Amino acid sequence: MRVVLNLHASSVFSSLRGLSRRRSIRLTPEGTRFLLFTFGIGLAAINTGNNLFYLLLAMMLSLIVISGLLSEHCLRRLEIRRHVPDLIMANEPTTLTLSVSNRHRHLPSFSLRVLDVVEGQDVDRGLAIHLLPAQSSILLSYPLLATKRGWIRFEGIRAQTLFPFGLFLKKGFYATEAHLLVSPPIKPLALRFMDELVSEGQGESLSRRGHGTQLYNLRLYQPGDDSRSIHWMTTARTSQLIVRETEEEDQRRILIVLSIVAPDESEPLFERSVTFVASLLWQLTERTYPVRLIVGREDSGLGSGSAHLFAMLRLLALCERHPPETNEINHGGEYLSLPHETDRGYTVAVVPWSEQAASTSAIQADRVLHAAQLEELTHAF
Amino acid sequence: MPFDQAFKISSILLAIIAFSGLVFAQSVPFWIAIPTAIILIVTLCDAGGIALVRRAMAQVTVSPTIWNVLLIGAFVIFLIDLTAVSQDLLPAGIHFLVMLLGIKLLTLQQRCDYRHLYAISLMAILASAALTTDAWYLPIFLLYLLGAVWTLLLYHLTQETTEASAVITPTSMAAGHATFLGRITQRFFWLTNGIAVMTVGLTLAIFFVIPRIGAGVLQKTHGEALRTTGFSDRVDLGTIGSVKQDPQIVMRVELPDQPTVAKDRLHLRGLAYDQYNGRSWSHSGTRRRSLSLVAEGVFLARPAGSRLPDSLSVPIRQDILLETLDTPVLFAAPFAELVSGDFLAVQIDGMSGLHLPLSPSSRARYSVTSQVPQLVAGDQAAMVLAYPDSIRSRYLQVPVESQQVADLAHRVVQQVSTPFRQTLAIQQHLLDNYRYSLEADTATLNHPLDEFLFVRKTGYCEHYATAMVMMLRTIGIPARLVTGFLATEWNEFGGYFTVRQRDAHAWVEVYFPQSGWITMDPTPSVSAAAGTSRWESIRRFGESFRLQWDRLFVRYSGKDQLAVVHEVREGSDALRERVSSWISALSAPIGHVLTRLARMSRIVQPGVLECITGVVVVGLALLLLMLRDRIGLWASMHLSIAPSQHAIVQLYARMLRTLEKKGLSKLPAVTAAEFARQVERKWGAAGPVVADVTALYHQGRFSRVPLLPKELSRAAEQVGRLQSLLRATH
Repeated sequence: MRVVLNLHASSVFSSLRGLSRRRSIRLTPEGTRFLLFTFGIGLAAINTGNNLFYLLLAMMLSLIVISGLLSEHCLRRLEIRRHVPDLIMANEPTTLTLSVSNRHRHLPSFSLRVLDVVEGQDVDRGLAIHLLPAQSSILLSYPLLATKRGWIRFEGIRAQTLFPFGLFLKKGFYATEAHLLVSPPIKPLALRFMDELVSEGQGESLSRRGHGTQLYNLRLYQPGDDSRSIHWMTTARTSQLIVRETEEEDQRRILIVLSIVAPDESEPLFERSVTFVASLLWQLTERTYPVRLIVGREDSGLGSGSAHLFAMLRLLALCERHPPETNEINHGGEYLSLPHETDRGYTVAVVPWSEQAASTSAIQADRVLHAAQLEELTHAF
Repeated sequence: MPFDQAFKISSILLAIIAFSGLVFAQSVPFWIAIPTAIILIVTLCDAGGIALVRRAMAQVTVSPTIWNVLLIGAFVIFLIDLTAVSQDLLPAGIHFLVMLLGIKLLTLQQRCDYRHLYAISLMAILASAALTTDAWYLPIFLLYLLGAVWTLLLYHLTQETTEASAVITPTSMAAGHATFLGRITQRFFWLTNGIAVMTVGLTLAIFFVIPRIGAGVLQKTHGEALRTTGFSDRVDLGTIGSVKQDPQIVMRVELPDQPTVAKDRLHLRGLAYDQYNGRSWSHSGTRRRSLSLVAEGVFLARPAGSRLPDSLSVPIRQDILLETLDTPVLFAAPFAELVSGDFLAVQIDGMSGLHLPLSPSSRARYSVTSQVPQLVAGDQAAMVLAYPDSIRSRYLQVPVESQQVADLAHRVVQQVSTPFRQTLAIQQHLLDNYRYSLEADTATLNHPLDEFLFVRKTGYCEHYATAMVMMLRTIGIPARLVTGFLATEWNEFGGYFTVRQRDAHAWVEVYFPQSGWITMDPTPSVSAAAGTSRWESIRRFGESFRLQWDRLFVRYSGKDQLAVVHEVREGSDALRERVSSWISALSAPIGHVLTRLARMSRIVQPGVLECITGVVVVGLALLLLMLRDRIGLWASMHLSIAPSQHAIVQLYARMLRTLEKKGLSKLPAVTAAEFARQVERKWGAAGPVVADVTALYHQGRFSRVPLLPKELSRAAEQVGRLQSLLRATH
């Protein structure tokens, strides 16, 4: 029985806590003055027993009650949905959208102000709705500038209203939890570095279609194909329009490995290294190279195109620096988990920090970018 | 109209309403009221966008220093007013408040100025509430509430529109809604008024519910008492005449226990006088006794343990709302038995006059139950009445020089024998031979009674009553003069008598040993203000409204709240009793049947009841089985057919019409199948066609499987074929 009572009590308390979290009310300066006047009139009414003072007191109290009722009405039956993109870049403004619907059958909502609730804090984005008619919705959009990579957790939306008299600020919480992933920013890289990287990677080519001379494949013509690529002989033989696909001539596989081991003091460089890797991936994808990224134990696999780029950016967005003493990823002084594959392609190792005793020459990579080089490459970031 | 303009207008209107309250309360002298009214009108015109006023206002620029000097000047005037002129905080404060209102109206620039204006308006409406209890306050209050809702709403919305707003992309807004923002639309107008109506309703609910606590620490009453005449210890003959033209309301009297009694006139007794010196009436005894308190606020007028006079007496209860008068006399129909009211003490004099210890400082509401004595038959028929010495010594006093009056009295009564008839004869003599006139001012005469009886022969109630008392006394019948009010103005809307100053009256009480003091009125009735015009009706309605206002708002108290709670509780008890009686009335027959069944179940063997129930259920099932065809037929005849069945029904009907042309009519008693067989026998060529259509009709009309489109088309083809056959035979 005691257990049941405790359960009931805890459920009541939790519901009360939930209620207080969902609704809150605060006096405005005008409301404070109004309450003071009400208090004064109440005192006068009690002192004199004058019924007309009681009438005025009743008017003041009814205005307070009407304020509460109408503000509650404005916040009730609001339905708020948040539309967030899958991935955004840090330090690049992004537009987020909120859809606010008034599900009330007849009555409109007024004077709404919509705030983001991020990490328990109300963030005013300057979103206001003066009138939201019944059975209608409105789209509110606002710019968001994320300064750090990683997850941004939106706990919900808080709508607040001063309607009708501006005496009370009533707030309502709407749980629309959403997570937004922020990738590292993309920065321009030195052209010389890119040229060196490309020229060093000769020979690590992978057969794939592209602009070249070697035959890669024959296939049926599809609308949009270049008519010059029609293979006329086969077309004549098969009586179907056949196009020839050629092999990309200058195609290399590139593996980028990012070391996530760095002490606290190397945090800025580590972050710049992450940004560097993201920018590098961006550049390589632009040049249609098949790229593979390994961050710690996370492996993106080999791929190309924007979808693969976003997958790799996700890895970078979520990667965390590990201090050397707590590093459990790479025992025995290994900073990188390079795959033991013979055809892994041209390998670039990004090592923002390494122990003095350990030699970066031990890293089995075609090119190792250690702290000094990274400092040089990312000093403009 | 844009929000900004509406906001300014509503703010100024709020100030106008509050100022009107002060003006109606007559608390603002004209030298402040007129300039303030002009300022209000000018600023209202300016806010309303009247170009001329706006241009003029734009040209007038006054520096802030001058406004500050004006404020200081207003404060100095307030100090002078407080210390030298009004010498009272409330009037001086109101004057200061009105001056502040005027100055603030001329300096309305910032939003804080508007807030100050609202505060001043609130103080003004509060001050007018302190100054009045009249019914005009209600419309002022309601207007103020309406204005307050509009102003507060517009204050908030104008503030919001001025604030920066984010990019808003409406997706599903109607085009008209965009114009809602920033302008007064029809929707906004009705919405605001709806909020105001809600607020009014809630205000009234809170007003009636809020607990009444009157601490009265700094309570102070204001208002001047109404001056009355004829209710002092000494009354000069002719003094009542001075108030006989005064229409001011003195009291309102309800008769809650006599709702259907003809409300023609009611004597409301004030004081009685026994000594007349030829020019004025006075009391011979001034001793008063405090009434015994029998319950909280209930006083027993009759001495405890005494019995009623040996007469037929009619109880009459009156609920009286007495205006603030300058006399402590309480008025009631003769003679008060029980007095209940919010009084600390009530006193009674030797002639049954009710008094408060002090004149009430505000309106008084009280109830009195009176026993109106009726003349018993013994007193009417008695040739000689034996009066107690105490009565004889006190109520037979006449002035020494009244021989002429005595002669007249004897002349009048010489034809009648009994004291009662003599009394009636004197009363009738006065009624018949003297003319009622308020112009007979006898206050300055040495012998006003003689002047009335023998010279002018015109007078009013005091003259008539004094003459009758003197004439009765000269023939040995004890009598006394009573002053009070004669209520004749019945308000049919409110169900009460309105008693005015002009209803002040004097009449006579004649003593009969068995009956006690009997009221007699020798004054001819005057139908002075008995107007029946529409204006009179409106006036009486207004009167009724004022009374309701006073009862429901001004006089509403904690006792009323308790009474309402009590009534609600009683009402809920009554409702519960009624519902339970309905339920019992409904359940009685069912219970009776169940009781009989239970009794039967006790009588019959265990198990027999179950057998009977089983037999009944099985019998009902068999009955349904046997009647299923008839039920189905009834259903097919009476229940509506589905739309998909219409086509085959129409085709079948068309086939029947075609066959009728051939002379083959389907009788109602013949089924479709029988009719098909008849057709086959009589018109062999059409037999297969009719049989096919009939089969389809059966399927489509009565089976649960609807006809397919191709089956319907087949039926249509068959009907067409039948028509071809018919044409071929012709």
